[in-house]
Amino acid sequence: MANDLFIVIVGCGRLGSHLANQLSRAGHSVVVVDTDERAFGNLSPEYSGFRMEGDATEIAVLKQAKVGKADLLIATTRDDNVNLMVAQVAKTEFGIQRVLARVFEPQREAVYQRLGVETVCPTAVAAELFLKSIAKEGPA
Amino acid sequence: MEASLGKKPVLIVDDEKNIRLTLSQALETLQLEIDTAVNGEEALAKLEAKRFGLILLDLKMPGMDGMEVLRRVRETRPDIKVIIITAHGTIDSAVEAMKLGAVDFIQKPFAPKEIRELATKVLDRDNISAEKAKGYAEHIELAKKCIGDREFDSAAEHVRQAIAADPTKAEGLNLLGALQELGGNRLEALKNYRAAIALDPTYMPATENLNRAANWSPKGDITLDEPKATDDQEEGKKA
Repeated sequence: MANDLFIVIVGCGRLGSHLANQLSRAGHSVVVVDTDERAFGNLSPEYSGFRMEGDATEIAVLKQAKVGKADLLIATTRDDNVNLMVAQVAKTEFGIQRVLARVFEPQREAVYQRLGVETVCPTAVAAELFLKSIAKEGPA
Repeated sequence: MEASLGKKPVLIVDDEKNIRLTLSQALETLQLEIDTAVNGEEALAKLEAKRFGLILLDLKMPGMDGMEVLRRVRETRPDIKVIIITAHGTIDSAVEAMKLGAVDFIQKPFAPKEIRELATKVLDRDNISAEKAKGYAEHIELAKKCIGDREFDSAAEHVRQAIAADPTKAEGLNLLGALQELGGNRLEALKNYRAAIALDPTYMPATENLNRAANWSPKGDITLDEPKATDDQEEGKKA
């Protein structure tokens, strides 16, 4: 049953579409929401989920995407504040167990975590990898 | 009559590949035999070849649409259960579909669990008996069963009992409204749609029914075109 989740992804940019393609291929039921219909061009031809044009900061749009039934929501728009708001609404209004969000600004991560939202910060991740790589090579 | 309806194969009819895939994947775990058709013509051919117990049917398809399939199915196989697949938004043809005994709808996008629950509910409906029914949910299920058998009067009776058991549910009033609309009692139907909306302003089916019923053309033509962004008006105008 692990491959049978209902997942809502907000934002269909590079990250959102990539996740959607992978999760859909893994057999999950995926809904991608984006304000711009053209963004769905990023989805691969094998993507078998749903696409929905709309503003995910509107509750009606989230309702239409059936967020209330989702096992997981991932907020991947390029705007931290949008991600935070969507994640918060998903958590408090719709009671979704697992909510993940991308956050660019490392300082904001604490706020997300207080709300019980799991975060991935590309800046922090990249910095960590750089540092690791530098440490490995190290000055001889 | 047939005890193991649940074991009969299921036919999924939709022109979109991803919908067929999502639905089959979700239903596979119920251990049901699943077959698919990409359009109305193929669906009818498959229906002749095999005795399906349940059809999941998209209304909007190129060529023969779902409503026509439903009409033909009702002539040849009145016992078959039908779940209608609709795009998110309006169900303009809900009453028309109900007239043909289809009362269960699933809106896109769907969660796998949701599909399984609905399919199970529809297939199990035969096991509820009128004597044992008590409470809101059971009466609603019985009403839907009666609609499936196209016994609209007893359906309305069960809906009334459901409403009596729990007068706070918008779904019951909406269903009663739709049944009255079917019976030609438009004024009573409008009243019930309005009452449903008063109970729960966010219950969209009642709002849509009210909008449609309020400007329904006298002939009762029902459009299958769904208004895209604006859902306020201009429905039911197409001949």
